[in-house]
Amino acid sequence: MAIPISQVWTVATYVWKQRVKGNKRYPLVLMLEPLFRCNLACAGCGKVQYPPHILKKQLTPEECFAAVEESGVPMVSIPGGEPLLHPQIVKIVNGLVARKKYIYLCTNALELKRRLPEFTPSKYLTFSVHLDGQRDHHDFSVCREGGWDIAVEGIKEAVKRGFRVTPNSTFFDGVDPNSVRAYFDEVMAMGVEGIVLSPGYSYDKAPDQNHFMGRAKVRRLFRGILSNRKKSWKFNMSPLFLEFLMGDRDYECTPWGSPAYSIFGWQKPCYLLQDGYTETYKELIETTKWEEYGVASGNPKCANCMVSCGYEPTAVVDGFLSLKGFWGMVKGNFSSYKNLHAMKVLNDFKPEGHVPLVQIAGTARVMEETNA
Amino acid sequence: MSAEVLKYTREQVDALEVAPGFKHENLEGWIPELAGEEDVRQALEKAFDYRGDVTLTLKSGERIEAYIFNRLSGASLKDSYVQYFTPKAAEKRKVSYAEIARVEFTGKDRAAGKHWEDWVKAYNEKKAAGEKNIALVPDKLD
Repeated sequence: MAIPISQVWTVATYVWKQRVKGNKRYPLVLMLEPLFRCNLACAGCGKVQYPPHILKKQLTPEECFAAVEESGVPMVSIPGGEPLLHPQIVKIVNGLVARKKYIYLCTNALELKRRLPEFTPSKYLTFSVHLDGQRDHHDFSVCREGGWDIAVEGIKEAVKRGFRVTPNSTFFDGVDPNSVRAYFDEVMAMGVEGIVLSPGYSYDKAPDQNHFMGRAKVRRLFRGILSNRKKSWKFNMSPLFLEFLMGDRDYECTPWGSPAYSIFGWQKPCYLLQDGYTETYKELIETTKWEEYGVASGNPKCANCMVSCGYEPTAVVDGFLSLKGFWGMVKGNFSSYKNLHAMKVLNDFKPEGHVPLVQIAGTARVMEETNA
Repeated sequence: MSAEVLKYTREQVDALEVAPGFKHENLEGWIPELAGEEDVRQALEKAFDYRGDVTLTLKSGERIEAYIFNRLSGASLKDSYVQYFTPKAAEKRKVSYAEIARVEFTGKDRAAGKHWEDWVKAYNEKKAAGEKNIALVPDKLD
């Protein structure tokens, strides 16, 4: 695991304190969306389709700080939109660092290299750079040629300046698992702290509605990708969550674990679904009908979801609050997850045909079940 | 989640190979007839889900161009309300369902179009024409 000990300790003590206090529902990461404006138009994203007057709106630094204080989270993820387009993003980041919150600033890095001199390296600040795989795959995924080169330039400069950097990848149907593993080699060679990854979520407002993987396919894909790991690969995620993606663990969603706050308020029930908003965090927790969400509810909007914002909190709590989970976490940090069958499947996998960019629709094929 | 929505069993969910996408409802330009209470509730539920501005005409005659981002459906129309932003005001506003006489889906639907297939087609055409730095770009804000 690539996460620094101080951060692990902060999160662990936070979880233990919640247990002692008897809190059943508490947040781990605040998904703070200071704006929805973006400089990309990715086909798989359902976050930025708003009228211009909404895209021009943004949270003030004071509103951001109030949301963080109100929820009491130890970690803050700043997605969007593209946070680096917010004119006061430096003030927001500095204010959160001063509050000793661990921040993941999620960026497509188109502006990262230019803006880096305005930020100060800190153990509390990580640039989480959107990178959906190797160059061709990423460029096609974000619908922009040349996007990968710009992002990688930003990553290298950030690493050089001493910042914590974690590439953050979302994978959709048809992705080539061998290409993903080669991508892991590439980004680790850039000196990043660790990799963050997740299967895509089927946003109902995303322009592309045809390439979201179901749970069975997600498990096969991630078993292929994450078995037989190289020692050089580090993941900035709970090992238990990665085992969940591989189909080794069965978790329920913890939607309140990563609450989202934006110009609209506190989003019900989670970062991915929009079923209304509340004015306060307390109201979010007390008025959301939590039983209507998650896989166990049968809600079709939750059916394919295995996304980190819902399931990683479950994995983190399991890792810190149960002996079995803790032991699994320790083992996971040292295991290469050797799996001969998964290796064979990877070796046998051939993308169909040659295309100038990886066309997600064109290369879709079913991987053989690897959980033999 | 409304009661009539089809629910998946755990077995069905675990066996899903491809997650079914959502069919986009073409609401741009729609003016629902608001004959009764249920019509009002349904129209405003769709307006809440719509990624474009709508125009609300209140019973007072006032017309409001609004992006509706929230709704609370209470026991009566008087207890129910929508929350919205207007293009000209910075703050959130709210209005009771009972005050609304007409809803028009007047704004452009920002979630329509730009499908993956459009991107692939555009990419292939531009590539064949020798273009470089091919990209989809976000809509202009002004």
